[in-house]
Amino acid sequence: MCTRPTLPLLVLTLGIPLLVHPVDAAEPARTSAVSAEVDRLLEAEIRASGGTPAPLASDGDFLRRATLDLTDTLPPSNSVTLFQLDPDSTKRSRLINRLVHSTEFSASQARYWRDVIFSRATEMRSRQMSPPVFQAWMTEQFEQKQSWDKIVEHLLTATGDVRENGATALLFAHGGEAAELAAETSRIFLGIQIQCANCHDHPTDRWKRIQFHQLAAFFPRVRVRPKRDATPRTFEVVSQDASRRGRRNPSPQALGLMFRRLDRNRDGKLVKSEVTDSRLDRSFDRFLQRGDANKDGGLSLKEFQKLPPPGNNNRRNDTEHYMPNLDEPGNRGDAIRPVFFATGGRATEGLDDVERRQLLANHVTSTRNRWFARAYVNRTWSVLLGEGFSMPIDDMGPEREVAHPQVFDLLCRDFTDSGYDTRRLFEIIAGTRAYQRQIRPRDPTEPIPPFASAQPSRLRADQVYNALLEVLGIESTSVRQRSLRRQRPGQSNNMMSRRRSAGRTLFLTLFGFDPSTPQEDIKGNVPQALYLMNSPLIHAMIRAGGNTRLAKILRKHPGDDDAISEVYLLVLSREPSASELKICREYITEVGRRGEAFEDLMWSLVNSSEFLSRR
Amino acid sequence: MTDFPPDTPRTFSRRQVLEAVPATALAAGTVGLADVVQVEAEELKKQGRSMILLWMAGGPSQFETLDPKPGTDNGGPTKAISTAVPGMQVAEYWPRVAKTIDRFSLIRSMTNKEGNHQRASYQLHTGYVPSGSVKHPSLSASIAEQLASPEFALPAVVSVGRTTGSGFLGVDYEPFTVNNPGQLPQNVSVPVPARRYRRRLGLLGRLEQEFSGRGGKTVVDKHQKLYKKSSRMVLSKNVAAFDISEEPDSLKQKYGETSFGRGCLLARRLVESGVTFVEVVSRGWDTHFDIFERITTLSEQVDPAVAALVEDLETRGLLEKTLVVWMGEFGRTPRVNSRTGRDHYPRVFSAAVAGGGVKGGQVIGSSSANGSAVADRPVSVPDLFCSICHSLQVDPRKEHLSPLGRPMKVVDGGKVVQDLFA
Repeated sequence: MCTRPTLPLLVLTLGIPLLVHPVDAAEPARTSAVSAEVDRLLEAEIRASGGTPAPLASDGDFLRRATLDLTDTLPPSNSVTLFQLDPDSTKRSRLINRLVHSTEFSASQARYWRDVIFSRATEMRSRQMSPPVFQAWMTEQFEQKQSWDKIVEHLLTATGDVRENGATALLFAHGGEAAELAAETSRIFLGIQIQCANCHDHPTDRWKRIQFHQLAAFFPRVRVRPKRDATPRTFEVVSQDASRRGRRNPSPQALGLMFRRLDRNRDGKLVKSEVTDSRLDRSFDRFLQRGDANKDGGLSLKEFQKLPPPGNNNRRNDTEHYMPNLDEPGNRGDAIRPVFFATGGRATEGLDDVERRQLLANHVTSTRNRWFARAYVNRTWSVLLGEGFSMPIDDMGPEREVAHPQVFDLLCRDFTDSGYDTRRLFEIIAGTRAYQRQIRPRDPTEPIPPFASAQPSRLRADQVYNALLEVLGIESTSVRQRSLRRQRPGQSNNMMSRRRSAGRTLFLTLFGFDPSTPQEDIKGNVPQALYLMNSPLIHAMIRAGGNTRLAKILRKHPGDDDAISEVYLLVLSREPSASELKICREYITEVGRRGEAFEDLMWSLVNSSEFLSRR
Repeated sequence: MTDFPPDTPRTFSRRQVLEAVPATALAAGTVGLADVVQVEAEELKKQGRSMILLWMAGGPSQFETLDPKPGTDNGGPTKAISTAVPGMQVAEYWPRVAKTIDRFSLIRSMTNKEGNHQRASYQLHTGYVPSGSVKHPSLSASIAEQLASPEFALPAVVSVGRTTGSGFLGVDYEPFTVNNPGQLPQNVSVPVPARRYRRRLGLLGRLEQEFSGRGGKTVVDKHQKLYKKSSRMVLSKNVAAFDISEEPDSLKQKYGETSFGRGCLLARRLVESGVTFVEVVSRGWDTHFDIFERITTLSEQVDPAVAALVEDLETRGLLEKTLVVWMGEFGRTPRVNSRTGRDHYPRVFSAAVAGGGVKGGQVIGSSSANGSAVADRPVSVPDLFCSICHSLQVDPRKEHLSPLGRPMKVVDGGKVVQDLFA
């Protein structure tokens, strides 16, 4: 079965240009060889344990699956029939290759990683400011065919304005907090949840508490702070390499000078109105609470000088990471040196912030660190197959069970040897028969190893959104912006696009989920159902009158069967089955009014689980 | 709400019978005695108990709430004030709660080990520490599973603000999230006449069979359940419970015209109309800096709302069967840091409970003089959860099978804190 002809041979025999974008001619042949080897190993294991691999999915299902997975969009409804009729036996690998090298692929990867990073953000302001900047930056990385290790290196070492440098996303998402950054670096890039070792040795894995803190020790000098006088308001990621502690304890003389400068009416007492607009304004009430011994509502010079100095456990002043002593919560604990737990890689002394983070990036992306490739391969496999070799994808081990370890190792080796080439990995996996099988529900209590069939999985919010735009005939932002620019330049254009992107944001909030969540934990919820069932927008856009997509179909196809087929192709990218056709015909007769019946059909398909699933 | 006159809460009206009977039976004119009897049984079940969780997201400081230590280094500038019960004091930021303290049991000896927001929130919602292999149901789902009537039109679990989900207990007990408390939730108005709506739903159900037969059965079954639940809700008159506009202004002011205040008022309305579990979330308790300023703002929203809720429930005769729990995911460090804040501290923290048979006006346990440890009567998370189950007459040892076939109890371990109950 794995005798797919090699690409150069095809070009010779068919004499047609196979690829829309020129790609190194030798590469596809090699990816198909890896795909074939993956299938050989997988199928042998599945058969050995008593399972039978499911047959390949139909061309229509494959087209929808691959287009959604690789570009977040539905295939155009008119392309479904064309693809089915295309006699070329390599049409599937051609399609995959075209999609993987499209700009939409880069954009879809950027959206995916935006969700991975910001779903767990602990600095909430990052969610408003950072995503568009991050998305633009990440799209560019994929467009430039940046390898995964380089992308991760940028994410770990970035500095600068969060509205200008999208690579600051992860650092900003956690406000530069060392412990959070250690936890997320490990979870996202290594698939290891080492943060469980924050307060105690890891409950199930072999990690020790100190190892978590050694990882955090790569980050103690990262600061995220508001940028002064910037409009719109923004933050910057900076390094703090010298302790600022010296500056924090002013001498009594300095305090006296300051006191006299502020005490405008010279009554020897500072009150709130005198410190307005000074640096003390924000903290003055607190100072009063702490220092106003005679309760006269003001601070005398004595009271002012006696204010307790800031304590010494202020993390903002620390340029090293401290592991708190759990038995002495008042004490800040021991200073910890950076060590990378997975390889034991250490840092030499005297490194500044960026050097430390660069060193961590080197350790993380080193070929000696097998977790780096494993995490990405397992995640990518899970995106495409609905389930990883090791689950959950962000909690892989080291003591977890791995399904099909040989296949997993093979893919990890290839990914590492390719210099962490992301597109190549997508092309290999999408090129396997394992990816292209029919869906079948799987009983998790059954002992049959996974990947004998495909799993239906829930579309991500961006995919549902794009699909809805397509089905309802709403122009996407870029198209709309372009047409607007022609008509009315300037302000209104911005307003329109802003309103539109606000709509998208609301939709993403309603339908969004953390893409690291296992499929079985992703459930629809009532507000989502209510949106699809009742929202005024959808109600208006599925009307049979006016200029909606449905109205156009009904005008163009006076025969009900043709119109039903067109509606199915539009919404579900496939033809109706015989029994569906029968149900629809009966329904139209029962209702008696063609327009109303077709509105109900559109409504039903948009509200179906199939529309929300990758099948 | 006309269905539930305030003077006769949760009485049984003919209209409610009609509400609860399947729409198809109504349409066909086949409402028989059996249906009515069944509805009545469900109604009785509904008259059971419910719970309101007031969740202080971020981890409230015990020193600035229920366990003040004035005059000590760790206590900071926070003063203590007297309450309605002689000898019981709370922090100065809680004057309204202080006046209603005779309805509350304060637990000052909560103790736990999780100091990370996500993990601790998960644990204080589910009773279990997070584990990679299984998504535990939240306690709200386990409670609803035992108490809620499956025929009730509104969601069994409502959360004002995001919360932990129902885990493997599934769609029926998944919390319905309300983001703008007091207003009707978005998209509950049906855009076509009810008859046509039901007909559409019928078509959808028939068409889903194809995908079900082609390998999507699991997905379709889940989806159908969700749609059944959602459509029953929008077609029901009960949905008006979400709209607080008809409540008197004086009452709204008592709760406070804040998001949290409206959330608490909504919670009372929902519980009154038969919802089993309502969570109201207050955000911003993660006070690593400027704690004494921020606690003032926070308590100005939460203090009147909590007091008004308990009084309102009592006035309506609902407090006896409604357990109110106030807590967050952990407490905060005894030592005030140099940013005038307190950091995460799970070793000892406080919680408050009222109603549901809880004895008011008492303190359970205590923390040490410097606030760094439990001095007396430690209460673990499972202990608290067992006590909640006891109050609601829910079986804490009932087992559910996880998707991997492992039986899991509602609460694993722990003992009821008997002193809590009268």
